[in-house]
Amino acid sequence: MPGSAQLGRAFAVQLWASVLTLTVLVLIWALSGAGGFWPVWVFLPFALALAIHGWVQLLRRHPAIWRRPRMTFALALTSGIALSLTLFNVGVWGASGGGSFWPQWPALAFASALAIQASVVMFTAPTQRQMSERIDVLTSTRAGAVDAQEEKLRRIERDLHDGAQARLVALGMSLGMAEQKLDAAEPEEARELLAEARAGAEHALRELRDLARGIHPPVLADRGLEAAVRSLADLSPMYVSVSVELRERPPATVESAAYFVSAEGLANAAKHAQASRVEIRIARRGASLHLEIVDDGKGGADPEGSGLRGLRSRVQALDGTLRVLSPPGGRTVLTAELPCA
Amino acid sequence: MRVVIAEDLALLRDGLARLLRDNDFDVVAAVGDGEALVRAVVEHEPDIAVVDIRLPPEFRDEGLRAALRARDRAPGTAILVVSQYVEHAYAAELLAGPGGGVGYLLKDRILHVTEFVEAVRRVAGGGAALDPEVVAQLFSRRREDGPLERLTPREREVLTLMAEGRSNAGIAEALVLTVGAVEKHVQSILGKLDLLQSAGDHRRVLAVLKYLQHQ
Repeated sequence: MPGSAQLGRAFAVQLWASVLTLTVLVLIWALSGAGGFWPVWVFLPFALALAIHGWVQLLRRHPAIWRRPRMTFALALTSGIALSLTLFNVGVWGASGGGSFWPQWPALAFASALAIQASVVMFTAPTQRQMSERIDVLTSTRAGAVDAQEEKLRRIERDLHDGAQARLVALGMSLGMAEQKLDAAEPEEARELLAEARAGAEHALRELRDLARGIHPPVLADRGLEAAVRSLADLSPMYVSVSVELRERPPATVESAAYFVSAEGLANAAKHAQASRVEIRIARRGASLHLEIVDDGKGGADPEGSGLRGLRSRVQALDGTLRVLSPPGGRTVLTAELPCA
Repeated sequence: MRVVIAEDLALLRDGLARLLRDNDFDVVAAVGDGEALVRAVVEHEPDIAVVDIRLPPEFRDEGLRAALRARDRAPGTAILVVSQYVEHAYAAELLAGPGGGVGYLLKDRILHVTEFVEAVRRVAGGGAALDPEVVAQLFSRRREDGPLERLTPREREVLTLMAEGRSNAGIAEALVLTVGAVEKHVQSILGKLDLLQSAGDHRRVLAVLKYLQHQ
């Protein structure tokens, strides 16, 4: 049977076992003097089982069959089984000598059951409008994510240009001048320049380290979200309390988004709101990670500011939501909801 | 020699000023943005302005544009542009103006203090100083069947140094040749590229660069 292997080993084994059994039965029937063809009663249930098994395998391996409008896996499965049973009934009717065509009644019942199921599928499927709204959301959040990425790359370039790169140039200048001083036999000045150069190298290293942490903090990858957020809290000049309730590690993209929301929230609280205490709560709520940052600062954050806009793009790219509540003179509450599916 | 420096990062501005002062330049002004550069050049009429390409507020090529404006207002001011990246397109804009005294160097070159100081003097004196990286970018654009392919490897080395703005004596020193040998190579190169032999080094750089750019 060519092609049977494509439906899986289990199906192939069942097929060959059935063929073998039937061959043996037909042989026995022929040797025992032919008479009424009783092996048909074994053939029909075997064929039914094979048809259902084959159909299930086919649907599993080729989702394109049922992934289309007004069709679901369940509906495709039911239709296949109903058709197999109807054919089985017709077989039984034929093998038992015909007469009144009773298989039409169960076929009619199958048809009405299928009609009910199909109409349920039709009414629960997303409408054209819902789908096009979803496409709009996906298009804009994807563009936002790309913009945020671009913005971040530009900032990294600036940081490198003005930071470590400039430090290295200055360091090189000091070394070059020290060389000149040595040539001119002025060792005291040369020593001074060398000390400056060493201080410059240390500074450049520190800046590179901070920059690398800003791109992707190593502690986040190694120890997870809780440790990374606690390390942010330790570095902050404010009093920060952190509570994390997660039974398992969320996906890396969610961890990273939650980390950067926390980092930006803390930076805003210190810089703009001039807060002294901040509370960060992270917990799993249903299928989402829920993050809340509350500070006791002077509020008035601009939700359209570049920092918050970048965060929102990042969160929306994961199908999450970010809300900012920051009344002037009041506490700022930053909430992020990140699906973990 | 009187110098104006325009560099937005204080660290580098101070370092550059000290380095030039140490080498007997008179740093008359050190400023942090393009507008201040134009004002300083008009006020002090320096021999040369050493300018960072990226200046506030946009951090793109404000330095270059301010330097060109400053030269319009105070003709005869030499310009040496320094940058952490080089783009041959910028070099073309810089060289498009009349007169001599232009240079475009990577900040890396400042680390070789003696050579850098020499380049500043050369540019201030009406010569040219182009970064080897810029020249390399121009060379890499050449076509397979172009006349550059007719040059011998030695002639290509000489051409690179010519494009950087070196004099025949400078080229001779860099390649450990006699000045006479360099002169012969230069004649041969100019002949193969159909370029006219002109007197000044700066004219020669211009001719070579124009040639490379139109390749």
